[in-house]
Amino acid sequence: MALLNRDDWYDIARDVDWSFSYVDRDEAFPEAWVGANGIPPEAWEDWEEPFRVSYRDYVKVQREKETGVGAIRDAMIRADLYAHLDPGHRASSHLHMGTTCMVEQMAVTMQSRFCRFAPSPKWRSLGVFGMLDEIRHAQLDLRFSHDLLKDEPRFDWCQKAFHTNEWGVIAVRNFFDDVMLNAGCIEAALATSLTVEHGFTNMQFVALASDAMEAGDINFSNLLSSIQTDEARHAQVGFPTLDVVIKHDPARAQRIIDVAFWRAFRLFQTLTGTAMDYYTPVEKRKMSFKEFMLEWIVKHHERILRDYGLKLPWYWDKFLLALDHGHHALHIGTWFWRPTLFWKPNGGISPAERRWLNEKYPSWDDSWGVLWDQIIENIRAGRMDKTLPETLPALCNLTQLPLGSAIDRHHLGKQQVEYEGRVYHFDSDVSRWVFELDPARYAGHMNVVDRFIAGQIQPMNLEGGLNWMGLTPDVMGDDAYDYRWARDEAEQPLQAAE
Amino acid sequence: MAQAAGNRRERRRKTWSSLGDLGRKPTEYEVVTHGMNHTAGETPLEMGPDVHGNVWLKKYRDDIALKVDNWDEFRDPDQLTYGKYVRLQDEQEAYVDNLLEEYTERRPSDETLSSAALACLGSCLTPGRYLVHGQQMMAAYIQQIAASSYVANGASFQAADQLRRVQRIAYRTKQLDLAHPTHGFGSNERGIWESDPLWQPMREATERLLVTFAWDEALIATNLVVKPICDDIFLRQFARVARSLDAGLDALIADNLYRDTERHQRFATAACRHAIAADRANRDVIWGHVEAWQEAGEAIVVAGAKLVAQHADGMVAGEVEAELRSAWQQLQRDAGLTHDA
Repeated sequence: MALLNRDDWYDIARDVDWSFSYVDRDEAFPEAWVGANGIPPEAWEDWEEPFRVSYRDYVKVQREKETGVGAIRDAMIRADLYAHLDPGHRASSHLHMGTTCMVEQMAVTMQSRFCRFAPSPKWRSLGVFGMLDEIRHAQLDLRFSHDLLKDEPRFDWCQKAFHTNEWGVIAVRNFFDDVMLNAGCIEAALATSLTVEHGFTNMQFVALASDAMEAGDINFSNLLSSIQTDEARHAQVGFPTLDVVIKHDPARAQRIIDVAFWRAFRLFQTLTGTAMDYYTPVEKRKMSFKEFMLEWIVKHHERILRDYGLKLPWYWDKFLLALDHGHHALHIGTWFWRPTLFWKPNGGISPAERRWLNEKYPSWDDSWGVLWDQIIENIRAGRMDKTLPETLPALCNLTQLPLGSAIDRHHLGKQQVEYEGRVYHFDSDVSRWVFELDPARYAGHMNVVDRFIAGQIQPMNLEGGLNWMGLTPDVMGDDAYDYRWARDEAEQPLQAAE
Repeated sequence: MAQAAGNRRERRRKTWSSLGDLGRKPTEYEVVTHGMNHTAGETPLEMGPDVHGNVWLKKYRDDIALKVDNWDEFRDPDQLTYGKYVRLQDEQEAYVDNLLEEYTERRPSDETLSSAALACLGSCLTPGRYLVHGQQMMAAYIQQIAASSYVANGASFQAADQLRRVQRIAYRTKQLDLAHPTHGFGSNERGIWESDPLWQPMREATERLLVTFAWDEALIATNLVVKPICDDIFLRQFARVARSLDAGLDALIADNLYRDTERHQRFATAACRHAIAADRANRDVIWGHVEAWQEAGEAIVVAGAKLVAQHADGMVAGEVEAELRSAWQQLQRDAGLTHDA
């Protein structure tokens, strides 16, 4: 008798479904958590693992990975690297840790939902590895950030952010609570695993790791790369799910993916667009956000849609327009409302940076430069009060992002819906369309401004808002370079570097 | 920059602000586990209060009888982190690999198993993958609506341990099938699980657990009643029988897998003690759930004792029952369920 290979016994291990007779199976697998929406139970017999892994191999390989990350961590702590990093890069790492770590932990629960309620026993078993992976990612982020607390209090937000009402965090929480923690397994797999993880974050981690390495942040880069190797594996569970849904309900597959793509894109603009095109020092930028999107995200998404016989979303032209503008809008918005951030954004509008922006986005000066001109003028005149907000921005009832933040000043337009006596506002007709697909799902939520108007935030001024958001002076956002890019061109190191 | 560096020194932080003043350095386990459930607020998910996920969490997590305000003060006695978990289990799996190598290549044993041993393995070991998959689903459920990441992460590791066991059962099932192709290894198990009268109390309890959604009852019925009794039967008692039938490999694997069970029991009993320490009224709540599942547990004890004892000469079902009951009562005492606790 010989020792066995994994494939010798694997089919037995995944053959663990049985016919219920003591309770109603539908009660044990409630529709709201499964989300089959009429797809018959036997259809899931076609669900095949996109990769195979045994528990034995998993713990062996992951142990080795942990050892590798740990060794670099130890070396980097000794090297005291953080103190020498560029302020713009530091902002990217604060933003990343504050908005990503808890999402990793939320993904533990989404995977655990698969382990319990997925309609295929193969999927329920495979979910275990995804669940463990996500614990790893959250814990790597926490350990990395905790190591740096002594240097930077903003890393406290790695653990704290999702317990606050900071508006950007609310936007992230709202989306992921919806598609990870409220959705049934099928929607979660298509929206989160396939669209967000496989489509966006998988590639984002590659790009961010490369940028971090370029910036000299070896520890952060190594951590991101190590996480990405897990992510690339477990994000694949979206594909067999899509295989089944396409056969039985292609219209639903199209809808779920179109909604998720838009919502993920809007967050991606906020978190990655700003970091890539503004925080990263200009001489280190390899691609613009738009180029990155077109090369890595859009091509990939188009290929998946084509492979599965799905159409481009109806809003593709709007998406391409938003790709030119949305992250610039979000950058000027987040920078202007910088006291509401827990990181220090880099204004980043020095002449050299401006040239780069206009080269990458030919209409940038016309759309955005004119607004920054006014800000620069105010800074130079010492009128800092005019560069700071006095109140909160109006927000979208779907994305939770500022109204007007999907496009530029030439394309602004009102997008409203009245539903059950309440008026809802949207940052775009695409967001309005998402809302109208399933209003009951979104209508009960109050965005930050709704809460402000309802008197839930006191005192009713910016100070009250900041306090409510949990922003303390030690982390509150200010310009990363202390406005050097605006004050005096001669002082600009970026220009000098040219 | 000098001034900025000075400011950094002034506000130098030693640990998460949410850990407060511990009066000591936090452990690595606390650093990577603390406060990682963001859904503890009035409306759990950042959505309208009436969406499905919020209604579920309110009903089955927040409005349950067990009331504990401070789950974030609970600590897993084993202090498992991801890194520690994969290290620990890689060692355990390497041990099992060595056993398999020893019994498969150095002194092959499956071919020499007696018909009594084969009957025992076919009736008590290989059908277990269904039961253990049920346990895996329950651990995952306990994770997903736990009030604190300290509890949720422990439940995740428990779910992973259950997959480990399913895969080791599958491995042995295949080996036995290759050595004894006419015995139905790999094909008879579902029928046994669904129809063998002695397996029905286990299956009934598993199915009933899968419709038990209130978090406290799910945790207690799983980890204080159904699972510990089943693990005692199919790992500890089974190992005794297997050893007596010269099925040494399966006895040793079961011994090793029982280490996972012991860890699950340390975790669950610590959670119960924590709940009772937080509010003594919780003792009655926990008792209430144990009592509600008493009959199911008792049925498993009786059937399980028969199931294993029938395969061993000199093993008396009544004595096995007594042992199972005794261990079960000890577990309840460990959970703080005696009046003198």
